[in-house]
Amino acid sequence: MVLVMIRTAIIFAVLLIVMRLMGKRQIGEMQPFELVITLLIAELACIPMADTSIPLLYGIVSVLAIFVLHEIVTLLDLKAKPFKAVLSGKPSVVINKNGIDDYQLKRNNLDVSDLIESLRSAGYFSLDCIDYALYESNGTFSALPKEGYEQMQTSLPLVILDNGKFNAKNIDLTGLDEAFFREILRNQGIRDTKRVLVLTADGEGKIYLQEKGRKFTTFRVRYPQDKTW
Amino acid sequence: MIRSLCAILAVCVLLAGAAVFEHLYIGKAFADFSGELEALYEKTDEARANYEDARAVQTSWETRKERLQAFLPHNDLARMDNALSETVRLVAEENYAFALPQLEVLMHLAETFPNTYRVTLANIF
Repeated sequence: MVLVMIRTAIIFAVLLIVMRLMGKRQIGEMQPFELVITLLIAELACIPMADTSIPLLYGIVSVLAIFVLHEIVTLLDLKAKPFKAVLSGKPSVVINKNGIDDYQLKRNNLDVSDLIESLRSAGYFSLDCIDYALYESNGTFSALPKEGYEQMQTSLPLVILDNGKFNAKNIDLTGLDEAFFREILRNQGIRDTKRVLVLTADGEGKIYLQEKGRKFTTFRVRYPQDKTW
Repeated sequence: MIRSLCAILAVCVLLAGAAVFEHLYIGKAFADFSGELEALYEKTDEARANYEDARAVQTSWETRKERLQAFLPHNDLARMDNALSETVRLVAEENYAFALPQLEVLMHLAETFPNTYRVTLANIF
């Protein structure tokens, strides 16, 4: 019985560490330790239930051990602030006044595409219409838009360059070609695309460009033959 | 918070109590069973054991097993069942030369079985 308790506590700790290391992508509206408990409880309850050769007591003891661990972790979460940060993590500000914080994205195993997806889910389609955006410790996404942001979202921006790589599918959608966007980068003094964190282009010629470790810029270009989308 | 602390304390006490009870109960059950096996072994060694003696040990084990199944995996206990059934048959046939090794296996199992549930690093991992 003590063995079952110790083994449960070890699995709990290992799962919790792994969940914290996986970052916010894996969580989704639960604190890491809550997700760990959700993962464990179902299995712990089911195995002795389905396998009659295992005493039911093993399931009951494991579930009670999980309950004790949950209560201890919840108490520490509420009463010990430094422990809370270790246990549940801290919110990560992924967009600030300078644009996307690449370091924070990487820390949470996210990339620019994930961020843009989260923005779209939250109703924001343009990166420059956001002052601040953050992933809460439970994985939910929050954003503070600029004043009058609705007027800034008149056309759908497409990701042309993501982390130094051209998105061929999106370039096809624009009806333009890679050379056109390379020319834009050259005009901005960027010869190596690997330096670019993100480049988006909307249907009205607005370009959002951010180099790695630098502040973003937005500017307008005219598309050949007045293309739009 | 007080409610949480009380709940933690109550469950810990319950689990600790259950663990101590389990430890003592398993230890005593196997110690008693070892005693019965030793008695049967002596009789078998002296070629005095008969079917009733072996059957008595088996019946006693079966009663004990029903309770032990609440704490221990049933498959592990079944190993003891198999060896004991074979011993009963060998003793009934007065095949003492083959019954003795079986009894030695049973005595070894009864002696080492509780150790597999002790809190040791080997058992945890």
